[in-house]
This record gives sequence, C-alpha cells and structure tokens, in this order.
Amino acid sequence: MSAMVYGGVSQTGSPIGGAMNVFDRNMKRKQKQWAASLEDPDKYEYLKNEVGSRVADRVYDIARTFPLALDVGCGRSHIAEHLSKVGLLFLTDVSESTLIFHVLKPDGVFIGAMVGGETLYELRCSLQLAEIEREGGFSPHVSPYTAVTDLGNILGQVGFNMLTVDIDDIHIHYPGVFEVMSDLQAMGESNCAWNRKSMLHRDTILATAAIYKEMYGCDDGSVPATFEILFMIGWKPHESQAKPARRGSANISFGDLGKINQSPSMDKPKER
Amino acid sequence: MSGANVWTRSRERMKRLPELFAQCGPEATAYGKCVTATTSSKEELRKDLCIREFEALKTCILSAAKKTVK
Repeated sequence: MSAMVYGGVSQTGSPIGGAMNVFDRNMKRKQKQWAASLEDPDKYEYLKNEVGSRVADRVYDIARTFPLALDVGCGRSHIAEHLSKVGLLFLTDVSESTLIFHVLKPDGVFIGAMVGGETLYELRCSLQLAEIEREGGFSPHVSPYTAVTDLGNILGQVGFNMLTVDIDDIHIHYPGVFEVMSDLQAMGESNCAWNRKSMLHRDTILATAAIYKEMYGCDDGSVPATFEILFMIGWKPHESQAKPARRGSANISFGDLGKINQSPSMDKPKER
Repeated sequence: MSGANVWTRSRERMKRLPELFAQCGPEATAYGKCVTATTSSKEELRKDLCIREFEALKTCILSAAKKTVK
C-alpha cells in the first residue's frame, strides 16, 4: 500500500500529448528559482505551510498507515514536516498528473491540493475594471483555475475511485494590492500563462489599488485576498473497495427512513 | 543588469507607491466609487469614464512624491 501526496500550487513538467498547453513551464521554473533565491523565502511561505498542514490532516484522517509515500512538487516539504505515520517519504520536484495514477499501487491513495475556483477573484476583478477604464480593454492577469465541479470529472477520467473533493477558503488580508502582487511574485506564483500580457502600466496599477480598496476593503484599512484550495482524494481501484451497488438491487426504500426509530422488521429472533 | 538603469529607477518608484497611495485616501475613494458605480448602474464602464477622478488621484500621488523626494 502506498500513498501519494501532491502539494504543489502550480503544475510543473511538460504536457503530454493531448493536454492543453496553457502555461509556459520554463518561465514558471525561472520564477520559482528566482523566488527561492530571495533573501527571506520563508517569509512568503505562509500559504504553502497552511495548505501543507491541511493536506497532512487529510493523511491522518485515513485510518491506515502507509509504508511508502511520494510528495510530488514538495517545495520546502510543507507537508512532510507534519507527517509521521508514513514509513518512507520521498520528496520530488516534478510531477505529471496521469503518471501519479500509474505509479500508485492498487488500493493506493492520492491526496492532492491545489488552488482553484474563485482564487484571487478580488485581484482579477479589480485589474479587469482598472484596465477597462484606463486602457479601454483588458487581458487576463490571473491564471484560469479549475472549477470544483471539473475536478471530480478529471480524477474520474484518469481512473481514480471513491473520489472526495472539498474546498477550503483561505482569506488573507494585506495592506493593499501592491503587497498582494509582490507577495505572489515572491511566492513564485507570478502569471506564466502563454496569453499573459508582459506589461502592467503604472496608471493601471494605481487604478487597481483604488478599485480593490473601494470594492473589497475592510474597516481596518486592509484588503482581503481569497485563496480557494481544492482538496482531492482518489483511490487506485482494488477489489476490496466498495463498489456502487447494481441498479435495481435496493431492498429498502428511502420512504422507510421515517421508520428508522422503530424496531426494524428484520430482528434476529431473541435467544431463549 | 548591473548599475542604476531605467529598471532600477522604475522599481524604486514602484516601491514608494503604497506609502504615497496611503496619503491620497479621498482621491482614491472617489475614483474607486466612480468605477464601481458602473457595476450596479446601467452605464457601462468604458475608457476614461472616470478620467477626472483618476487625474485628481494621479496629481495627488505626484505631489506627495515631490514632497518626500530625497
């Protein structure tokens, strides 16, 4: 039995045939290396630390110990520092999502976390409005994110069983949009989609700051940034796993739910 | 890139923006309100719709920058 834990916030590696080429992976690697070379990289790791501890929580929630685990995209081992019930833990940098499925043993589990859904919607909307008012049009500055609803389909298509997908909303408050953007940059999370604009005009940044504050500002003068973390758990199929029952094999109806407090009609005969 | 060049100067200016922005609260609010008003009214947001408020904000930022120039 083995488990795989994936803690990355962005995809790495090259897309295999058929996958959409959305991100410039070379640029992402450069951004991550630049971020790692900063004076105080730990200062910006708060989000990854928090997500890492929540992933570790989910590992503990599983009532089993694992002799072998693989941490894909481990960063600064944000997950490993919380784990102890894993026998051996390998930490790696690169990942390939369908490879994860193949590397798992049957009845192995994949626990993953990534940003998705409505992450950074405040930044995205403020930038969009500012660009329209200042420049007459807008281009995407925040990566396209996976929606929760799509995640189940993706995992199911790869072949995982017994899927669990849930969302955690993390709201982080910053003094202003400048700090939001500089922290994202220092985390190595700058935009690297192919369709990104290479410039952000100073006037537009100024306009974004004013709009962000007006639309989302809090009473204490700070502005919030939302990170929607999608957690996913999928199991590699194995005969021991519960399968959905055959259609038409039900022998109790939902209408009987109301009778649940009465003694069931299928009592074992009392022993004399 | 080594030495002082347009990028280092530009970055220095950008680093000062948050503190200058903090000094121009009313102008920023006025501009922000002008833009966000379009999200709830029938009027569509278009280029330079709020140019007056933006120019006021920019003037405030520039004069704040001059006041604290090293």
